[in-house]
Amino acid sequence: MTAWRQLVEIARKDLRLEARSGEALLVTTPFGAVALLFVPLAVGTDTPLLRGIGPGLYWVVVLLFGLLVTLRTSAVDTPPQIALLRLCGVHSVVRLAGRAAASALLLLAFELLLVPVAVALYDPAPHGWPWLLVVLPLVAAGLGLLGTLAGALAQGLDGRTTLGPVLVLPLAVPLLLGATQAPAAAALGHAPWPWLLLMLTVDLIAALALLLGAPHLEEVA
Amino acid sequence: MTLFGRRLPIIAAVLLAVGLVAGLVAPPDRIQGNLQRLMYVHVPAAWLAFLGFAITFGASLAWLWRRKPRYDRLAASAAEVGVFFTGLAIVLGSVWGKPVWGVWWTWDPRLVTTALMFFVYLGYLALRRATLDPLVRARRAAVFGVLAFVQVPIVHMSVLWWRSLHQPPTVLKPGDPTIDHSMLAALLVNVLAFTAVFALFVRARVRLAVAQDEEDTLPGPLAGDVVTAPRLEGVSRDE
Amino acid sequence: MHLQLSPQAELTDVHVDVQRTSVLRGLDLVVAAGEVLGLIGANGSGKSTLLNVLATLIPPVAGTVQVRGPVALLGHAPALYSQLTLRENLQFVARMTGRDDAVADAALATVGLAAAADRRADRCSHGMRRRADLARVFVTKPSLLLLDEVHTGLDVTSAALVDHVVDGVRRRGGACVVVSHDRDQVARLTDRVVELAAGRVAPAVVA
Repeated sequence: MTAWRQLVEIARKDLRLEARSGEALLVTTPFGAVALLFVPLAVGTDTPLLRGIGPGLYWVVVLLFGLLVTLRTSAVDTPPQIALLRLCGVHSVVRLAGRAAASALLLLAFELLLVPVAVALYDPAPHGWPWLLVVLPLVAAGLGLLGTLAGALAQGLDGRTTLGPVLVLPLAVPLLLGATQAPAAAALGHAPWPWLLLMLTVDLIAALALLLGAPHLEEVA
Repeated sequence: MTLFGRRLPIIAAVLLAVGLVAGLVAPPDRIQGNLQRLMYVHVPAAWLAFLGFAITFGASLAWLWRRKPRYDRLAASAAEVGVFFTGLAIVLGSVWGKPVWGVWWTWDPRLVTTALMFFVYLGYLALRRATLDPLVRARRAAVFGVLAFVQVPIVHMSVLWWRSLHQPPTVLKPGDPTIDHSMLAALLVNVLAFTAVFALFVRARVRLAVAQDEEDTLPGPLAGDVVTAPRLEGVSRDE
Repeated sequence: MHLQLSPQAELTDVHVDVQRTSVLRGLDLVVAAGEVLGLIGANGSGKSTLLNVLATLIPPVAGTVQVRGPVALLGHAPALYSQLTLRENLQFVARMTGRDDAVADAALATVGLAAAADRRADRCSHGMRRRADLARVFVTKPSLLLLDEVHTGLDVTSAALVDHVVDGVRRRGGACVVVSHDRDQVARLTDRVVELAAGRVAPAVVA
């Protein structure tokens, strides 16, 4: 119960820090929108083409820029802060789980903010869109966990915002495939469950990795 | 103790020579002709890439369990050599693919997974390079060494699944299962030869790491010893 | 002065390496309950590392460390989240340790920052942040307090506050370890002073 309360408080603290700094939602989100805007300039403004590649582009931007959301500066504990948390009896798993929860919520907001941008720019076919209600949280949770893991692995290193994503990107591949294929499968009348199951599996693997890896990744000095 | 040792280089050289001859003597492929001889390097390189990463995985687990520096050194060395062979396998595959398939790259699941592994283990080496403290480095690298390998099957399965839904590649696949006996023999000799080279590289790299660790810890200065009294006399009078 | 038999912290033959360098080599140290121990030493002699070992944040490569907590460590840099207000910072600490939010306000009032409670930490002066960091002690009520050069940059009243905090821990039967370069301060504040050199401690003579 104490651990749960600590987790909630840490997540709340992270969200409050983001609300004050705005790095994820006021900086990274517009940057992602710019990426969506650039692609038609490069490949041409052919409406059927853009309609076809729109959903895929949206997910590529969400995955790559989403990792930047998880590696935002306010999601870094300085050594004195880690020492403080440790001396308050906060377990490393609780600390990172709280961070992952906050990051997942921010990622969900990030995804939702980019949806209208992608719709406006690419006008994708609306088939299978209700499945997004499941896909968006699954991607946000998986990416939040992976990004937290990346942040812990690259903590305090030069180039952590580049090194971090490189370390965990492969596990984002099943998320990318699931996110793009599930609504596509539904649109074709197939059951998208296998893809959702795949994404859930990745989420669980990431959670397990965080659970087992966190105690090894906490350094104070 | 020399870096490469004495017996292993000789064994590796002899095996490589035999492998080279076998690869040249084996009959050319009926369809691909002499191009197919790239297989004698490409397949061993791909196998050694996976062997290297599997060793890194095992050594990382061993380090987390036993915390002995030698497991960390083995993990790092195997990853470095593994990255080399992954790069070799990808480049040779591309060179082989261009004339046969007509493209440098195809979305074969094996290719996609191998390319991802290449980048992941480049990241592993970057993570090691960026971390100064040996204990911190060993710890982070071990956690990541396990994660990097555990994710391979799920990434591979998901890509496989994805490809199976789309139009399967209409190109010729390398490594036809109905392989000629003499070709198979030549391939096995080459796998053996390159495995010997791999062992030679990994062992040399481990020995380098041992020497490096010894140099880092040998004189063992105390932290405060590097701070000496400032030399104050005469400084201001020089002006 | 009444010294209890069970020590607050006991370090036996402790060896610690940081970043490839050996910092502590076979260090023995007992901090008695109710004691205020001064710790001096040259730059780089490992004073901060020793405090981290006492806080059980850095595990030794050899030797044993026994510490009775809870422990509070106040370092060179205050452990505040700069975008949170002082109140939010202390409430965070209170909630982490299962305490009421009111404790945070009381602690801020004790260190004289009640009027600045709603100011963000990054809009506070160094001395104010230092005081807010000290307020943590009134929230977590540690029985082992470790102070790492907390006097740096403090005015007279703030320095007196440090004395008050140290005294409070001692009166509760806890122990303090104070690292400082100001020998006068150390002599005034502490019961006993040790000097850290060559990776070990030795009794130090201070004026």
